[in-house]
Amino acid sequence: MAQRRRFIGASLALGAGSTLGLPLLARAQAPVEIRMWTLLSGGDGARMRALVDDFNTSQHAVRVTSTTLKWGEPFYTKLITSSVVGAGPDLATIHLSRLPNLAGGGVLRPIADAELAAAGLRGSDYFPRQWDKSRYEGRNYAIPLDMHPLVLYYNKALAGKAGLLDGAGKLRPIVGYEALTAAFAGVKERTGKAGLAMEASQGSYAIWRLWLSLLNQRKATLIENGRFAYGRAGVEELAKVSAWFTRGYGPAGLDYPASTSQFMGGGAGFMLNGVWEVPELVRATRQKTLGFEYGIVPLPRLYQDASCWTDSHAFAMPANEGKPIAPDKLRGVLAFMAYVSRHSMGWAEGGHVPAYRPVAESAAARALMPNALYAAAAGNVVYDPDGWYMGAAGPVEAMASKFMPGALSGQLTPAEALDMFEKEASRLLRKRPPRY
Amino acid sequence: METTLTPAAKKRRAEGLPAALLLAPFSAAFLLFFLVPALYTFYMSLTESSLTRTSAFVGLANYATLVQDPSFWSSLWNTFYFALLTVIPLTAIGLVMALLVNRFVRFQSWLQGAFFLPYVLPISVMTLIADWMLQPSSGVINHLVGGQHAWLSDVHWALPAVAIGTVWWTVGFNMLMLLAGLRNIPNELYEAAALDGARGFTLFRSITWPALKPVLGTALLIQLIASLKVFGQTYILTSGGPYNTSRVTLHYMYETAFTQSDAGYAAAVAMAFMAVVIALSLLARAAGRRGA
Repeated sequence: MAQRRRFIGASLALGAGSTLGLPLLARAQAPVEIRMWTLLSGGDGARMRALVDDFNTSQHAVRVTSTTLKWGEPFYTKLITSSVVGAGPDLATIHLSRLPNLAGGGVLRPIADAELAAAGLRGSDYFPRQWDKSRYEGRNYAIPLDMHPLVLYYNKALAGKAGLLDGAGKLRPIVGYEALTAAFAGVKERTGKAGLAMEASQGSYAIWRLWLSLLNQRKATLIENGRFAYGRAGVEELAKVSAWFTRGYGPAGLDYPASTSQFMGGGAGFMLNGVWEVPELVRATRQKTLGFEYGIVPLPRLYQDASCWTDSHAFAMPANEGKPIAPDKLRGVLAFMAYVSRHSMGWAEGGHVPAYRPVAESAAARALMPNALYAAAAGNVVYDPDGWYMGAAGPVEAMASKFMPGALSGQLTPAEALDMFEKEASRLLRKRPPRY
Repeated sequence: METTLTPAAKKRRAEGLPAALLLAPFSAAFLLFFLVPALYTFYMSLTESSLTRTSAFVGLANYATLVQDPSFWSSLWNTFYFALLTVIPLTAIGLVMALLVNRFVRFQSWLQGAFFLPYVLPISVMTLIADWMLQPSSGVINHLVGGQHAWLSDVHWALPAVAIGTVWWTVGFNMLMLLAGLRNIPNELYEAAALDGARGFTLFRSITWPALKPVLGTALLIQLIASLKVFGQTYILTSGGPYNTSRVTLHYMYETAFTQSDAGYAAAVAMAFMAVVIALSLLARAAGRRGA
């Protein structure tokens, strides 16, 4: 009883403290509070927190508080549903691949040219491809932050044993499917270690990214006139990738963490993955826990060009229907976006290629290792095609992640896998884009 | 109005107000959180709706699509398969456990606790444990049976593996229900039978089984409904894979609504599924009555 009374006393004191304390604080300093939702976890999350902290200490007029939500469908569901009832945050990170869905569905608030200009943001300061992806039906909806393409990591010790390096210890250029397959097979045969580590369990997204890259490399179209048009090219490319696993050059069925630990543990000559694994390799190298030297190259050119899948993080403002953002908050949001753009060197350390050209083209960024090794990829990036059903954790990618790994594990033939994928996904192509 | 009331009617009226007051909290909750949403779901199933906005009234179009949707039918089949894999084992193993507990005198509560313990786990913990045990390279199951089998990615094993995990998780509840049934059987029956020379299995067949039948029927029915409602275990453990072979109907509904932003169609899936569950429950109850 005494304990409970003490507890009540304490909470009363706390309550009194906060009601008395707040106005005092507010009078001393009233920063504009900006609420941001992000889907960034791990190293990206830590780096974004650092940028937020730096921004908050750099000035006193605006204070950004960031909340991290679960990546993928849960994040976008929360963003969509909160925005349409006016309960969304002031600012959110999104994938540019989802912009047609979010902007087209009425979830995002357009940013007027005058607002951009007032914040000192200029379209020409961003790479044209990313700036273009931030626009929908002639209006701007996002400020691009980066691009994070698919790249090829290699283990210099294993690749060296397989005779794949030049005199300087760099990977000799690999061109064509046969050459890439021979490289994987060479590592497997000469070292006994896996040739390739790639996420391939059910629910994996890597195969979609690789498959889309290869389709683009051979100039095959994914969707034409509201139908899937990849045809035989699609089946062939899925079969070619599947062969790496069914022939045993790479372990089948690894989930994401298992695939990265296979490579980080020195158990694979190559890893196909996005650039977001760069910080882990940098950290392990610095801490001398990585047992080998690594290198990175853009996704090799197997066909006409070296197209490689990418996506981009970007900042956007939820429409918050019925509750338009206050002018001081809007200024704060834009100031934060501009600050992060100008300081996106910190973001580049996450492996990402900054979308803000003054940073991306600076001498410091060009010298940043290992980013410089794959900087050339930026010229060949391809996104998911535009469509409300496309993009990160969107319905088409979700369906692809169900069926395509079945071909990698040999449980389905590539034709079967794509047939099943197409049966489910075609329904989406016929549907009207949702308004939220 | 007030002039011609009989004393009985007066009494009824006097009791009416407290009764209504006592019923009010439940009725309000039922209305607000069950009946209204259910009716709204029915309305939504007749519309084209995104997650948040209804754009058109489409009549029965969603249902017309539904009957021709192979994804719906295969999800329904997966749900039945899961029910098949869980309902009978859960009841049978629950019965064996209940008989065991009932038999023990010294360690009774200890044994009962051990059998019931998994049931108190939240689904996240249960699926974590199952996932660890079933890991291809480090899981204890493969350590015991040998090999590096990826159970949850195997088209033949994914649903059975989830079913086995579910049986382990929830069998304690059935054990408890059947144990209550066992303890309700008057001891005199056993004493009388023992005097007549009945022993062992005869006692079970002639006394325990018939006396327990109504409880068993209820247990089966509750279990059937619970198993048809499966979502969390397959969603977390297999995400419906490999290639949708373990995607159950509620998972399909979830994907339709949240990944594909098609809440109207998802509502139609929900209504159709509810009809199926009600029909199956009535069927099971009728079968149980005939058996008893």
